Amino acid sequence: MALARYLGRRAIWYVVVLFVALALNFYLPRLVPGNPVDAIVANLTRGGGATGEAARETYETYMREFGLDKPLWQQFLIYIQNLFQGDLGTSFAQYPASVNSLIGEALPWSLALQIPAILIGWIVGNALGAIAAFKGGWFDRGAFLSSLFLTSIPYYCLAIVLLYVVGVQLGLLPVGGAYSFGLSPEFSLAFFGDAITYFWLPFWSLVLVFIGGQAVGMRSMAIYELGADYVNYGRGLGLRDRTITRYGFRNAMLPQITGLALSIGAMIGGALVTELVFSYPGVGTLLFNAIGQNDYPVIQAIALLITLAVLAANFAVDILNGVIDPRIRAAQTGER
Amino acid sequence: MKISNLTPRFWVAAALLGFTLLLGAVGPYIVNTDPNAVIGGLYDPPNGSSIAMWLGTDNEGQSVMANLVYGIRTSLWVGLVAGAVATLIGVIIGLVSGYVGGYIDDILSAITNIALAIPTLIVIILVSVALQTRTPTILALVIGFTAWPWLARAVRAQSTSVRTREHIDVARLSGARSITILAWDVLPYLLSYVVMAFVLQVSAAILFEATLSLLGLGPSGSVSLGIMLYWAIAWGSVRTGAWWAFLPPTIMLSIISFSLLLLQSSLDEVFNPRLRRGKLRRRRAAAEERADSQLAAASPQVGEAPAIETPVTTGGGR
Amino acid sequence: MTRLLNAEHLRASYRTPDGREVTAVDDVSVYIDEGEVLGVAGESGCGKTTLGSIISLTARPPLYVDSGTLEIDGKVQDLGGNRQVERTWRGSIVSFLPQGAMNAVSPTMRVRDLVYDVVRAHDGSIKKDEALDRARDRLTSLGLPARALDAYPHQLSGGMKQRTVTIISTLLNPRLLIADEPTSALDVSSQKALCDMLLEMLEKRIIYGVVFVTHDLPVLREVANRIAVMYAGKIVEIGGAAELTERPRHPYSAALLGSVLSPEPRYRRIRVAGIPGAPPNLANPPAGCRFHPRCGVSYPECHTEEPPHVGDELRFSKCFWAQKHPGEAVPLQKVTSDDINAGDITADGYVHGENEPEDATTTTVAEVSA
Repeated sequence: MALARYLGRRAIWYVVVLFVALALNFYLPRLVPGNPVDAIVANLTRGGGATGEAARETYETYMREFGLDKPLWQQFLIYIQNLFQGDLGTSFAQYPASVNSLIGEALPWSLALQIPAILIGWIVGNALGAIAAFKGGWFDRGAFLSSLFLTSIPYYCLAIVLLYVVGVQLGLLPVGGAYSFGLSPEFSLAFFGDAITYFWLPFWSLVLVFIGGQAVGMRSMAIYELGADYVNYGRGLGLRDRTITRYGFRNAMLPQITGLALSIGAMIGGALVTELVFSYPGVGTLLFNAIGQNDYPVIQAIALLITLAVLAANFAVDILNGVIDPRIRAAQTGER
Repeated sequence: MKISNLTPRFWVAAALLGFTLLLGAVGPYIVNTDPNAVIGGLYDPPNGSSIAMWLGTDNEGQSVMANLVYGIRTSLWVGLVAGAVATLIGVIIGLVSGYVGGYIDDILSAITNIALAIPTLIVIILVSVALQTRTPTILALVIGFTAWPWLARAVRAQSTSVRTREHIDVARLSGARSITILAWDVLPYLLSYVVMAFVLQVSAAILFEATLSLLGLGPSGSVSLGIMLYWAIAWGSVRTGAWWAFLPPTIMLSIISFSLLLLQSSLDEVFNPRLRRGKLRRRRAAAEERADSQLAAASPQVGEAPAIETPVTTGGGR
Repeated sequence: MTRLLNAEHLRASYRTPDGREVTAVDDVSVYIDEGEVLGVAGESGCGKTTLGSIISLTARPPLYVDSGTLEIDGKVQDLGGNRQVERTWRGSIVSFLPQGAMNAVSPTMRVRDLVYDVVRAHDGSIKKDEALDRARDRLTSLGLPARALDAYPHQLSGGMKQRTVTIISTLLNPRLLIADEPTSALDVSSQKALCDMLLEMLEKRIIYGVVFVTHDLPVLREVANRIAVMYAGKIVEIGGAAELTERPRHPYSAALLGSVLSPEPRYRRIRVAGIPGAPPNLANPPAGCRFHPRCGVSYPECHTEEPPHVGDELRFSKCFWAQKHPGEAVPLQKVTSDDINAGDITADGYVHGENEPEDATTTTVAEVSA
C-alpha cells in the first residue's frame, strides 16, 4: 500500500544519510595532521607507559587495524567492514581495551539515568500542560512561567545548582559517581539501594527541565485544540464536556508522542554534560575522557552511536506519524 | 514595529540582554584586571578589597570577576559570529533554493536535508577534535557552518511561496536581475522571520560553545563562560563549596539562554500582528507559534544538544 | 399552524479583553411556526450569526447572553446571567449546523465515532450498532452513501461534508435546526443539494423548522418561507420570502436587494448599487434608527426616535417611512457615493455632526468575535 511504499523510500533516504554520517565520522578525525599513531605511541613511551617492545606492538596493531599505510578509500572500506562485524575498534588511551567493552560499561548507566527521566518527565509534563490549559487562570500562569523558565535553562546549569544546594550545602545526597566507593556493580538489592541515592540528583536535574519543555508544548497544543471548531460543534450537539475534552487531547497528544520518540532516540547523547557534573560513569564521562586523551576510536564510536540512534528515532517517528495520524497518512501517501 | 506593541515580556528580555551586553562590553574596563593575572590563592572567597575580588579567585588564583566579564565577552562574540554566519548561509541557500527551483533546488535541498538529519553537536565535536588550534573565532565559524540547515529549510519554504506572488512577476518583467529581485522583493517579506531566526541562532551558538567547552573542546587560550564552568567542575569547586567559582558562569548562561528565548517569543508577537490583540487572541495564537515552530523544532535548542534538535520529519526530501 | 419557536427579547453582548461591552443582538424577538424555514439575512457583522448561536444555545465567551426567553415546542428556557442550559436540549430539541463543516468533526476521528458519541450522550444505553444503523438509514434515505460514516473528515469533499454534518446535526430529530451560513463555502450545485436536503427533512418531519442564517439573499428566496432582515443587532423587517424580496418595506432591505446580482432575465437590467458607508460601531450605535445615516429616505424623526413597529408579529417593518407609507414597497435607495463625496455622510456611515465616536477605530461584531 502507499504507506509502505512511502516508508520504503524514507528508509532508503536514511541509509544515504547514514552513509554520509559514516563518511564524516571516518574522515573528520583524520584531519589531524600527521600520523595519529605516531603521536599516540610517542605519548605512550614518553609517559613511561610502555617499553620499546610494547610500543612497537602497539604501533603495529594500529597500523594493521587502520591500514594507515593503505590509501584512504581502502581505509574507509576496512572501517565499514569492521562496523558490520560490530567491531568499533580498540581504544587508544586504554589499550588494549576494545571500544565495545568501554561503551558496553558506560551505556547502561546513561540509559538507566535517562529512560526513567524521559518517561516520567513526559507523563508529568504533559499532564501539567494539559491541566494548565484546561484550568486557566492563576494555575495556568504560574505553571506556564515556571515551565518556561525551567525549559530555557540548560540542563547542566540546573544540575550544578542542584548539586550545590542539595548535595553540598544540605548534604542530603551524594555528590558524585554512581555508587559508593568499594562496591562493584551487580544485580543485588543492596547495590541497587546504594546506587539509587547516587541516582536522584542527576535524575531530577534532567526530569525537571524535561517536564518544563513538555508542559509548555502540551499547554500550547491543548489551548489550540480547546478553541477548535469541533469543540464548539460537539457542545452544540449536547456532548458532555469530558467527551469533548477527550477529542481535544487526542489531537494535542500527537506531536507530543512523536516528541517522545525523538527524545528516546537522543538519549545516548542527551545528558553528556549532566553526567560530567555528577561524575556519573555514563557515555558522557566516557566521551569527556576520550576527548581529553585524544582517544579517537572512542570518540568516533560514540558519535556514530548517537547518530544511529537519532536516525533510527526519526525513522520511527515517520512510521509512527503515518500510523497514528490519519491526516499525515493521507498527506504523505497523497503527496507522493 | 510600534513601541506600544512591545509587551512586558519583551522589555524583561531586552533588559536582561542589555545587562549582559553591558557587562561584556564595559565590564573589562571597570574591573580593570587581566583575567590571567594571579591575584590570590586557590579558591579564595570573595571579599570587598577590590572589584576584582568581588567574586573571589578561581582554581588558578585568578580573579573570577575578571574572568567573568571577559568570558561573557567571548561567549557573546562566539554567539554573534556563529549566529551571523549560520543565518547568512541559511538565508542564502534557502533563498536560492526556493526561488530558483529546478535542479539547483534539488541539489541544495538534498544537501540541506542530509545535513539536517545528522546531529549538529556530533559534527561540531568531530570537527573540533580535529582542530589543532581553537580560537573563539574559529569555533564560532565551525558552529556557524554546521548550524544553518534548519534555517535554510524554513527560508526555502517561505521563499517558494513568495516566488509565486505577483509583485515578483512585475519585477521580473521590468528586467530586474534575479539577485536584485531576491534582495529587494523577496527578502523583505522574510525579514521578520530572519530576525527571529538570528536571535535563535545566537542563543544556540552560545550554548553550543558552552557545551563544547564543558567537554574540553573549548577555545584554547581564552576564557569563556563554558571554559570557566569547565575548570570549576574539573577542580571540584562544587564539591568544596566554592560557589563563587561556578555560580556566576552558571547564572550568566542561564540568563542569556532564558532572555534570548523570551526575546524570540515576544518578537514573534511584534512581527506577527495576529498574535497581538488581547489575551484570548494571544493564547490562541501561541498555538500558531507552536505550529510555526515546527519549523524551528529543527533548530538547535542546545544545552544537551541532540535531544531536541532533530527535525520534525515531513514528507520526503523536500 | 402550531408555533414552534418563541424567542423573546434576546439580548447578547461581546465582552472584549479590554473591558468594553458591545451589544451584538439588541432586544430581538422572532417567531417561527412548524414547517417553516426562516431566513435571517444581513451584512457581515449585523448579528445574525450571534442570533443563531443564541437560539441554538451555543453562545460561548467572549459572547455572553444577557437576557431573553426561548420557548421551543412548549418548553421554556430562560437565558442570561448564570442560568444553566440543560445539556440535553442541545442536539435533541434545538440543533446547530455550523458554518464551514470543514472542521466540525475532529480530524482524527471517523464520522461514525462522532455519531455514536452524539447518540450515546442523549441515550446512555444505546448500543453502537444501533446508533450506527440509525445513522446509516438516515444517510441512505436522504441520498448519501453509507460509506461516509467510515470516513475521516479529510476524506470527504466539501459538499459531502456539509451534508453529512447536516445529518449528524439532525440525527436526534431536533425540533428546530439553526443553520449558520451552510451554503457559503459550497459551489452552486452543492448548495442546491444541501437546500433540497433541508427541505426534504422538513417534509419527512425529521425536523420541524429551520433558521437559515446567511448573507446570500438569492438562496433565501428559494429556500425560505419568511425572511428576517437584520441590521446592527436589530431585526428591521420580517416578511414572506417572495413578498419581501419583491416589495421590501424597509429601506435597508431594499438596499440589500438592490445590491444583489441576479442572473435571471427580469432582474438583469436593473443596475446594481452598493450600499455606501459601513455598518455602525456597535459599541456606540447611532441614535434613533440605526440605519438612518445610510438611508436615502430618512425623516427628521429617524435621527432621534426609535422607529415604530409597523405590522404584526409575522410581517412587520421597523421604519418611519413604512409608517408613513403603509403597504408600499420602498423604492431603490437614492443614496449614492456622490452623496458621500458631497460630504453629507462620512465613509463609516455617520452623518456629520451626529454621534461620531471619538476614537477612530470602529469595532464591528465580526472583529470582536473573530
